[in-house]
Amino acid sequence: MKKSLKRLISAISIASVLLFWYLITDGLHLFSSYLFPSPVAVFKAFVNKLTVTVPDGGTLFTHLVASLQVALYGYFLGIVIGVPLGILMAWHRKVDLIVKPIFDLIRPIPPVGWIPLMILWVGIGQSAKAMVIFVSAVTPCIVNSYTGIKQTSQVHLWVAQTFGATRRQMLFDVAIPSALPMIFSGLKVSLGASWMALVAAEMLASTKGLGYMIQMNRMVGRADNIIVGMLMIGVVGAILSAILGLVEDRFVKGRHV
Amino acid sequence: MSSRSISIAGSRTEVVLYAVAALAGFFIVWQLLVMYTAVGMVMPSPIEVVEAMVASCADPIGSKTLPMHILFSLRRVLIGYLLAVLIGIPVGILMGCFQVGEAIIKPVFEIFRPIPGLAWIPLAILWFGIGEESKYFIICVSAAVSIILNTYEGAKSVDPTLVGAARMLGANDFQVFVFVTIPSSVPHIFAGLQVGLSSSWMAVIAAEMIRSSEGTGWIITTGMDSGNTVQILIGMVSIGFIGLILASLLRGLEKKLCTWRIQGR
Repeated sequence: MKKSLKRLISAISIASVLLFWYLITDGLHLFSSYLFPSPVAVFKAFVNKLTVTVPDGGTLFTHLVASLQVALYGYFLGIVIGVPLGILMAWHRKVDLIVKPIFDLIRPIPPVGWIPLMILWVGIGQSAKAMVIFVSAVTPCIVNSYTGIKQTSQVHLWVAQTFGATRRQMLFDVAIPSALPMIFSGLKVSLGASWMALVAAEMLASTKGLGYMIQMNRMVGRADNIIVGMLMIGVVGAILSAILGLVEDRFVKGRHV
Repeated sequence: MSSRSISIAGSRTEVVLYAVAALAGFFIVWQLLVMYTAVGMVMPSPIEVVEAMVASCADPIGSKTLPMHILFSLRRVLIGYLLAVLIGIPVGILMGCFQVGEAIIKPVFEIFRPIPGLAWIPLAILWFGIGEESKYFIICVSAAVSIILNTYEGAKSVDPTLVGAARMLGANDFQVFVFVTIPSSVPHIFAGLQVGLSSSWMAVIAAEMIRSSEGTGWIITTGMDSGNTVQILIGMVSIGFIGLILASLLRGLEKKLCTWRIQGR
């Protein structure tokens, strides 16, 4: 099939979904507009939300900034702790033997499950959310860095050793570079997980942020604002992972996993 | 092998010994911290948690015992997840095997994909009310994305040599589809099922935390509301435990169904 034809079908597909959405809402009024607003109403709500703070106490922009701040804070904390810990676990056998059982014990608890404990410990402020995001970001970072280092080709290490590399050089010049693609895919998984944990944490206890915005609008029955919030969460999530993809292209040379 | 190499397969007994020591150390430190420091103010000791867990199998938390709460959560996951499987695999195959299907579905799917499943909770509650349906919906949406994605990738990555060989031996389109495309995408589908299961387990907890009157998610939020850390930890431990069991059940099923693949690994 030709690429242009495929594009055409895709465009028609999206257009017909929008048209169908418009037809069942504003066109035929099958659903009440407060439950299922039309695309036009959602667009109006979007424009409106850029300046108006009712009913959730903030414009779209303030919510977005609040969410981004917490998410990135928790995420970077997760990277800064998770990646070195994963590398350490894979490189030093004793650390592996001791830390891994404890890590495996805690790992199956989904990050969302930590929310109540974190709120009880540090309150409903930004730091509780940052901690929850940290928990969700740190796991994939550890797992992927660990696996990445463990998968270092033994032959490469032998070669380095033969040429007289110290153990430190073997780690920084052989093992880490060859683990980078794996580490980066961990960073990507982490990013998705943090963004999701953020939404959950904000829905449960918060006073601003995109998750708070959609939750508040549910309470007042404004589906148009909920959909604006959801689309915003989706778009920002996609943009963040695209940025990470660009960083990866810059730093990771050679093979991709 | 040199003592410098990374992956020395240590003797099994050593691994077990260290694991036992590490875990024992972890619990002892926790217990001591609770007993002798300020940590005791905000954390129950592991012994308390275990005692309370055993007790809650007979004495109800809220209106139900712990096993009943777990069963409630599991039922929700099962229904929502099965729905996601029934929708996700066919959609993924439609997208992966047929170019027209890909051209039609993919752009729409790409719009929904980045929205986390949990972000659907408010809309689901508005649409289906606070009852069971909204939970099924949230679980289904959370699981469906990864199932669709992996099935799609599996169907896309069929080895063209295999398809060519089948064609040369006289297989028609239908036979290629049933005997080549589907079996070779099974490992990918299972990867999707695995990820989908853990996200649906997470989704049920989030959904129960936000609105419900029973289930493991409910246990931890009510624990939070009443400042009862023992109850929160009971919830967290059962959530982790059940999640682990679900994942290993699915892995067992995969081993049964894809023997050929595991042997080839």
